[in-house]
Amino acid sequence: MKTYKQPSTVGRFGEFGGMYVSETLMPLLLDLDKSYKKIQKDKKFKKELNDLFKNYVGRPSSLHYAKNLSKYINGPKVYFKRDELNHTGAHKINNCLGQILLAKKMGKTRIIAETGAGQHGVATATVCALFGLPCYIYMGSKDIERQKPNVFRMKLLGATIIPVESGSKSLKDAMNEALRDWIKNVRDTFYIIGSTAGPHPYPKMVRDFQSVIGKEAREQILKVEKKLPDYLIACVGGGSNAMGLFYPFLNDNKVKIIGVEAAGRGAKTEETAATMTSGTPGILHGSYSYVLQDNDGQIKEAHSISAGLDYPGVGPEHSYLKDIKRVKYFGVTDNEALKAFQTCSKLEGIIPALEPSHALAYLIKAFKNKHKNKVVILNLCGRGDKDLFTAAKAIGFDADE
Amino acid sequence: MNNLDSLPKKKILSLFMTCGFPTLNHSKKIFNEMLSHQPDIIEFGLPFSDPMADGPIIQEANKLALRSKLSTQQSLDLIKYLSKSKNNTSFVIMCYLNTVRKFGLNKFIKNIKNIVDGIIIVDLPFEEEDAIKKSLSKNDIHLIKLISPMTDKKRSQKLLKNSKGFIYYISATGITGSNKLDYKEINKNVKSIKKMSSVPVLVGFGIKSKKDVIDISKKTNADGVIIGSALIQKYFDIKMDFNKYLKSLKKFIQEVKI
Repeated sequence: MKTYKQPSTVGRFGEFGGMYVSETLMPLLLDLDKSYKKIQKDKKFKKELNDLFKNYVGRPSSLHYAKNLSKYINGPKVYFKRDELNHTGAHKINNCLGQILLAKKMGKTRIIAETGAGQHGVATATVCALFGLPCYIYMGSKDIERQKPNVFRMKLLGATIIPVESGSKSLKDAMNEALRDWIKNVRDTFYIIGSTAGPHPYPKMVRDFQSVIGKEAREQILKVEKKLPDYLIACVGGGSNAMGLFYPFLNDNKVKIIGVEAAGRGAKTEETAATMTSGTPGILHGSYSYVLQDNDGQIKEAHSISAGLDYPGVGPEHSYLKDIKRVKYFGVTDNEALKAFQTCSKLEGIIPALEPSHALAYLIKAFKNKHKNKVVILNLCGRGDKDLFTAAKAIGFDADE
Repeated sequence: MNNLDSLPKKKILSLFMTCGFPTLNHSKKIFNEMLSHQPDIIEFGLPFSDPMADGPIIQEANKLALRSKLSTQQSLDLIKYLSKSKNNTSFVIMCYLNTVRKFGLNKFIKNIKNIVDGIIIVDLPFEEEDAIKKSLSKNDIHLIKLISPMTDKKRSQKLLKNSKGFIYYISATGITGSNKLDYKEINKNVKSIKKMSSVPVLVGFGIKSKKDVIDISKKTNADGVIIGSALIQKYFDIKMDFNKYLKSLKKFIQEVKI
């Protein structure tokens, strides 16, 4: 196989990706692309970011051998890449620090972001507090309801939350509104997109900033196992934690890679967020990628118990990796994820977020009594504190008592 | 023949309306009313679930139109039906790329050939337009270009090369929380566009009243205006009483025809 080299200079991963936005945004994206290229070569920028990773985030995150879970599965040796130990409780902070440093370099004075689960919103509000920039977070009103702890966190951090009432009132609509804000405030505003979605250069830029996950995991596993892993597993909504883990391994052909999508009530039902299992290629939020859409190209509403995966699109690089068959994608239902959420908590003493619980569910289901002597790295990309109310309700536990 | 090639020299009026808003039947009546005034251009908005470049009023119109599961074919059939009373009015479609892609470009062109004079694909930037532009121009349909205040001179030059129909200048952007038209800036940018292209320049976004239309004509070098949200806003102002709406629409169009 040729060395993996994506995207093209115009932001294409194969046929996917691109820049499908109005002329109001085009000049900004081109400017952003140029600035991003420039800082990639900037040693001072790299040093600043690495310093923040180490001293602010607490990187490198550990690679934990999940002995009890491995025993329970009776299959491969399972390692958790513990990005849930990061400051703010998820992988999102990696990308936010990179983007806010870039925003500073570009002289932008106002930050906007969209959020679903609230993890990206919290991470953005955090870096805005750190750098003293005003922060506006777009969040669907449905998500505000189900992610209350994170809403309060963002407010404490000084962010203004703008509830989004349009459409399905979740992540997709929050992103629409954030893009509209950007169109209106093009001159002073920097839009920190939280996933590997959106128009070029975001999918590439977010992947690059998140790839610290995979780089560390590679070094760590080589140290403890003296070999590369046999499998990588991560959950995929927009796909940033997954791209972060996968990217540094894409040229290692022996490493099998699995992305797990949220199938909601089932990939074949209307209530799903499994874009690559149930969707077709189309254009959403400035990018050509798999989307959930009807015959007329109207975007469907997604459904998942996990607000972070409740998105009818997916990053264009995942669409490409699916089509060239480098990564295999599977769907996991709400109920399966909830079960894995509890299993992991009991067995490992780690309460995972509902998002990586999908990856855990797939691992438990597909690797049970199989693949012995193999090594798996699963990206535990977020912790479950934010999901306690949702999970309690779904499991039937009265959290107010 | 393409009606856009014989637009008047000044005071061009383009009226935008979402197809199927508030329902398909009502929509027919609205467009018939608009046509009866013989505006220079009518822009037909094809409803999309995620109109990310549109403001709240047009979003709402899209939502209402899609509530009754309006299909792309139904919108195109509506335009075809209206073309019988088209006369000198230019027909322009305004839509998002996913709608055209999913319908199929060739099938789309087949449906609008000899009916529609121009098309604005909001989220199709110059960088991605080649194939589509070629197919359209073979069928004498102009791909209308948008220019924003953020588009710099170098980019404008590339964009405006061989432009046809008219140039859509997006007037309102860059000022937080303000919808006021900045005539000085508009005039400066329109002048610069006119140096690069000979087709008419129309100003759109934020034009709400007869006064705005007159001011654009007097204070700037623009050749005309595009009015969209203001036409739709009236429907909500009048608490969705359809007969009253048609009357107020009539009055408003008479006013802005200067």
